[in-house]
Amino acid sequence: MFTNHKIRAALIAGAVAVSPAGAAVAADLGATDETIKLAINEWTGQHISTHIAGQMLQSMGYDVEYVTAGNYPQHTALADGDLHATLEVWTNNVGEIYPKMKEAGKIVDIGPLGLTTREGWMYPKHMEEVCPGLPDWEALVACKDALVTAETFPQGRILAYPADWGTRSADIIKSMALDYKAVPAGSEGALVAELKAADARKTPLVMMFWAPHWVFSEVDAGWVELPAYEPACATDPAWGPNPNATGDCGVEAPVTMKVAWSGFAEKWPAAFEVLQAYTLDTGEQEAMMKAIDQDGQAIEEVVAAWVEANGSVWKPWVEAATQ
Amino acid sequence: MTAFGRSFVVSCVRAWPWLVVLALTALLLMQRAAYPHIIAYPDAWTLPIAEAVNVVMDGIVAGAQGVTRAISGGLNVVFSGVQFFLTGAPWVVSVCLFALIAWQGGGWRLAALTVALLFYVLISGYWIPAMNTLSLVLVALPLSVLIGFGIGYLGYRSERARRIIMPMLDLMQTIPAFAYLIPILLLFGFGPVVGLIASVVFAVPPMVRNTILGFQRIPPAVLESARMSGCSRPQQFVWAEFPSAMPQMLIGVNQTTMAALSMVIIAAIIGGFEDIGWEVLSAMRKAQFGHSLLAGIVIVILAILLDRVSSAYAARQLPGASHVGLSLRRFALVLGAALGVAAVAALLLPALWVWPETRVFFPAQVINQATTDFLLAYGDVMAALKNSVQFYVLLPVKLGFERAIVPFTWGITFTPGMKTTYWIVTLICAAAAFGLNRWKTGVAILVMAGFFYFGATGLPWASVFLLITLVAFQVGGRRLALLAAGTVIYLLINGLWPQAMLSVYLCFVAVLMCIFFGGLIGIWAASSDTVSGIIRPINDMLQTLPQFVLLIPALMLFQVGDFTALLAIIAYAIVPMIRYTEHGLRSVPGTLIDAGLSCGCSSWQLFWQVRLPQSLPQILIGINQTVLYGLGMLVIAALVGTTGLGQAIYVALGEANAGAGLVAGLGMALIAMTADRILQAVIRKQN
Repeated sequence: MFTNHKIRAALIAGAVAVSPAGAAVAADLGATDETIKLAINEWTGQHISTHIAGQMLQSMGYDVEYVTAGNYPQHTALADGDLHATLEVWTNNVGEIYPKMKEAGKIVDIGPLGLTTREGWMYPKHMEEVCPGLPDWEALVACKDALVTAETFPQGRILAYPADWGTRSADIIKSMALDYKAVPAGSEGALVAELKAADARKTPLVMMFWAPHWVFSEVDAGWVELPAYEPACATDPAWGPNPNATGDCGVEAPVTMKVAWSGFAEKWPAAFEVLQAYTLDTGEQEAMMKAIDQDGQAIEEVVAAWVEANGSVWKPWVEAATQ
Repeated sequence: MTAFGRSFVVSCVRAWPWLVVLALTALLLMQRAAYPHIIAYPDAWTLPIAEAVNVVMDGIVAGAQGVTRAISGGLNVVFSGVQFFLTGAPWVVSVCLFALIAWQGGGWRLAALTVALLFYVLISGYWIPAMNTLSLVLVALPLSVLIGFGIGYLGYRSERARRIIMPMLDLMQTIPAFAYLIPILLLFGFGPVVGLIASVVFAVPPMVRNTILGFQRIPPAVLESARMSGCSRPQQFVWAEFPSAMPQMLIGVNQTTMAALSMVIIAAIIGGFEDIGWEVLSAMRKAQFGHSLLAGIVIVILAILLDRVSSAYAARQLPGASHVGLSLRRFALVLGAALGVAAVAALLLPALWVWPETRVFFPAQVINQATTDFLLAYGDVMAALKNSVQFYVLLPVKLGFERAIVPFTWGITFTPGMKTTYWIVTLICAAAAFGLNRWKTGVAILVMAGFFYFGATGLPWASVFLLITLVAFQVGGRRLALLAAGTVIYLLINGLWPQAMLSVYLCFVAVLMCIFFGGLIGIWAASSDTVSGIIRPINDMLQTLPQFVLLIPALMLFQVGDFTALLAIIAYAIVPMIRYTEHGLRSVPGTLIDAGLSCGCSSWQLFWQVRLPQSLPQILIGINQTVLYGLGMLVIAALVGTTGLGQAIYVALGEANAGAGLVAGLGMALIAMTADRILQAVIRKQN
């Protein structure tokens, strides 16, 4: 698994590399007769980010197709030009194809989507009664017994990301010298199912999770407050509550990145500039997620309504690219 | 010397290799505190095989990409054509087409069933994804059948080819598809073609096996009379061999169809087209049981339809078939006319072209709510059930009594006195068995006592290696011993030992539970037609419903962990146990039962003395299938957080590390093959 620092360094390098193209000069529309294929991954937030981009491109006269693609395998498709862009890549969970293909110059980062993200230990709200003192992390020391289970005895249980997403929880537990054990969840579905069940039955649970995520429109949750991440935490053992270890702090907020096929800018210059300029507000994405997942509205309609109402946000990007 | 003493000495002499291994094990275990490498295989002794595979793979990908990409381009054209027709045609035309094909194969009843089931698909709103999935199966099927027939015929003609083909088939069926998705992705590029190739790989073996079997079983008289009447070699093939092998090959086609469908779901992980597997996976990711169940039922329906229709066509080829259908020309006429009428109707009435959204019935929220209600009502009971199984079954097998018995779990401390008693009782029982001339029972007592005391993860790897090799040698001779030893060495030098033992532990418990509960259900079903009638569709459903679907309610009730994984494995692997037990008991000849009755057997005696021994061979095949199914489910079980070989494969998939995935997948396949061969050798000894 790539660490956050390596990714950040790579991102900065990538951003510098593409910045000359980012200068707003009127660009050619390019091959409007060829369909631009945008990747649709497995979660609703990404669907929204992608459909907004798609509708912007359509308004410029492009033909857009949405193609379902797995979160990891999509980068193979982007590298081959079978897909052309993906709009919401979470840099904390990209797999190994992404860095490999980026290094080979087959895919390019085209700037962050700009979501305000959060990653860390999260708990359903009733935990504050089970474990008084939350959200402060020191409460976890006092109420360990509530979180002891058969698999983890005598330690407390913290539900962690699936093993293939890396070992964040186990690392933090070790660095903070907590008497807990990280239990890998196996899949996102497993994380969500446990959260829903714990919320319904009011059973104790602390788990690694991230926001924005649609589940927060169903479950009221809080976040464990660990010492906030600083670069010094990762290098200096003296920093933070545990004087003997580095990494005794929360994780860095992940970046949501837009990624494109390396031939995109040449083939559809104007579309490339629009996608490069495109950012999305977290609150608006969350509101649309709720409309789709909770209220059962169709994504096309929800996104169309947003595009209709927010012309002042996105029309300048289109104008800058085409005029 | 007493008779007991004499038997004891004789047993000791017979069991000497076992006693040597057990003594060595005891010695190793006494030294384990000083030398941790007795339990944990040293990292320094592993070989970087996965890295080597990656280097080779990179070479192959670079060299073969031109060819493979051309192949995938061609397949994409074919697939897009089928997909264009199935998703673009008015539903009324497609329904007519499928109904008429069913009618031609199996008559009115099959046609009516087809229409009814397709209407469920329409009402559920999953018509387009279902047609996308069907397109993939319809392309994969002829491809698998042709390739399978070719390889199978080669295997029939050449003994040497067969010797290479047979183990290849085992590998193709036991390596989890997840392990080779990445190499296929790199070779063939992104898109539905990846799923197509994966399902061909998995669906070819049954066709090959049945082709070989079909040709081998041709009565010599048929071949002789063909030669006598002066057939040339090609004529002999066309007029004598091929038709005679046909019925068996059609069974192969049927099994190939089902295999292709089951693999299509796996392909959805890659993405590329909006198929029904993607719907199931997306719902699984959101932990929406209702959505995933409703989408999963669509897959069950596709499976039922493909199974029934292809079986009907197979049955028609058999002598004495009741339904013959129309001649090909008349059928084409009827088909053309009906499709024409349907197309015109669809042109006039748009609701017959695209199913109106207002007519979609999708009770997902109701199912989700019911799941939550059940959770609230029975959550505590379920938690208690989970904890008892965890404390008294799973933990002892995983960690052994010495680590599993603590106040938190059993409420007692495992004192040194109790430990001594445990071993004294074990030794007395084993000695008694030896003295009664039952040395195998005695050895089994010692091995099991050690296994439960130290747990699957606490055994010295050297002892496991020796014990498995010894078992294999005793039941199957030198070749089987070589396979078993090779498997253990392979796992050790690849550094997969801890994961393998965790997988074996989980499968061991799951298989034991399947044998016990599946056996009971099978016995019950054999004694009552009503029970049998209820259980059969449930079994069909468990086998065709994507396993992802049942994970969600299991997770909500039992949380992430081994118990949930255990349930998932049992749900799938219990089916063959039930089926074979019932079938075995039901096929005991009536004359034997009459004979038992006339000897004055009680029904209890009749069961233990006549029916059970008579059906034992069938039941053993059931156990064998259960073991293979259980191992096959390990990858799915990794989705609920087990830590074994399944997880290793997922991690490799995430890292796009083709080598690590293949190495772990091959490890799983080797375990499955070793278990299978040992069991088969046991079955042969029984017969």
